[in-house]
Amino acid sequence: MVLIVNTTADTSVTDELKKSLEESAVDAEIIEAYGLKISHCIGCNHCWLKTPGECAIKDDYEIILKKIIHADQLWVISDTALGFIDHKGKNIYDRILPIATMYLRFYEGQMRHVPRYDSQPDLGLIYLGDAETEYLKRWNVRAALNFERSSLGVFERTEIKEAVSCMC
Amino acid sequence: MHVLIINGSPRVKKYSNTDKILEKFTEGMCENGNTFEQYEVSDRNSWNDMRKAFNENKNILIALPLYVECIPGLLLEFLETVTPKNDGSKMAFILQSGFAEGVQLRCGEAYLEILAGKLGCEYKGCLVKGNNFSIRFLEEKDRDKTTLPYKEMGREFAANGGFDSDKCRKFTGPEIFPAYIRALVGFLFKTAGKKGFAKMAAGIGCTKPLDYRPYE
Repeated sequence: MVLIVNTTADTSVTDELKKSLEESAVDAEIIEAYGLKISHCIGCNHCWLKTPGECAIKDDYEIILKKIIHADQLWVISDTALGFIDHKGKNIYDRILPIATMYLRFYEGQMRHVPRYDSQPDLGLIYLGDAETEYLKRWNVRAALNFERSSLGVFERTEIKEAVSCMC
Repeated sequence: MHVLIINGSPRVKKYSNTDKILEKFTEGMCENGNTFEQYEVSDRNSWNDMRKAFNENKNILIALPLYVECIPGLLLEFLETVTPKNDGSKMAFILQSGFAEGVQLRCGEAYLEILAGKLGCEYKGCLVKGNNFSIRFLEEKDRDKTTLPYKEMGREFAANGGFDSDKCRKFTGPEIFPAYIRALVGFLFKTAGKKGFAKMAAGIGCTKPLDYRPYE
C-alpha cells in the first residue's frame, strides 16, 4: 500500500495524485493532515523505553502511525521553509520513532535502530515552494536509511507525474 | 563577547541532554569574562523573548539534538517565525546525537550551514559529537564524564568565536569506528546493551518488552 500524507493546505496536489493513481490502479491511501492535530516530537523516549511502540502524545498522529506499519511506501507532501521542508512536514518524520525499537544494529554500514515491525516503508517526498533540492535529496536518502529502507526520490510540485511513476 | 544561546531541544530543560552539555560548555566559555543569555525552544512561553533576543544579538549559538538526520521540528517551527538578520551577525551550532559515529551527524551538520545563510548570518561552524544518549539517565558523576569535555570546547569557542579549529574538528571522535570496534559494539548491543536498555526502561516504569508491537 502507498501511504500519502499531505501536510499542506493545498489539496490540488492530492486531487491530481488521486486521479493518476486510480488510473494506474495503485493501492493508495491519502491522509489530509493539514487540519489534523499533530504535535512535534518532544523527545521523551517513552516510545522506546517506557511504553514501547506507543507515543506519549495522544493526538492525530496515531492515525498515521497505524497505517505506516502496513505501508510499502510513505510519501509526504510538505511546504518548505528555510531551504528545507517546513516544521509540519518535519514533524511527520520526527514522530515516526515508535516504529523503531531502542535496540541497535549495523545495517548497510550504519548503526541503526532495529525495526519494531516486519516491514517499513520506502520514503518519497513532494515539496511545494523553494528548497535546497540537492540537500533535500541527500536528507531523504538518510531519513530512509534510518528506517533501513530506500529513498524513492524528492519531487517538486511540477514533477507530480514523475513522482507517480515511482508509486507502486 | 556576549552570546545568545538557544537550546533547540524539544525536551523540557530538566531532561535535556543538550542543556547538560551547555552547562559545561558555558563554564568554559565564560572563564574570560564572556557572558551569555540562554533560552529553551521547549518553552513556548519564552518564544517572544527569544525572538527579541534573536533580533538584538550578534553572536548566536544554537545547540540542538539531531532529529531524523536534521533539526527538530519544534526548532524549525520557531526559526520559521524569525526575521533573517543580514546585519553581520554570526551563528554557530552545537549538534549532538545518540549515535556515536561522526558520520551519523554530517547530514544534519550540512543543513546547519544552509540554515545560517537563510537566517542572514555568517556561519561560524558546528561542533559535532554523538554518543550522548544516556546523559539524562546518568548520575551526576558519570554524567560529568560525558559532558565535561564540552568545557574545553567552550574555551575554544571563546577564543575563536566559532568552531572552525582542528581541536573542534577532532572533538567529534571517529568518523566511523574501526572494524573490530564495530564488531564489538554490534556484539554488545545484542547482549549487554539489551540488558542495559531494559534496566533504563524498568527505571522509568516500563512493564513491556522493548520490542513490543502495540499495533498488530
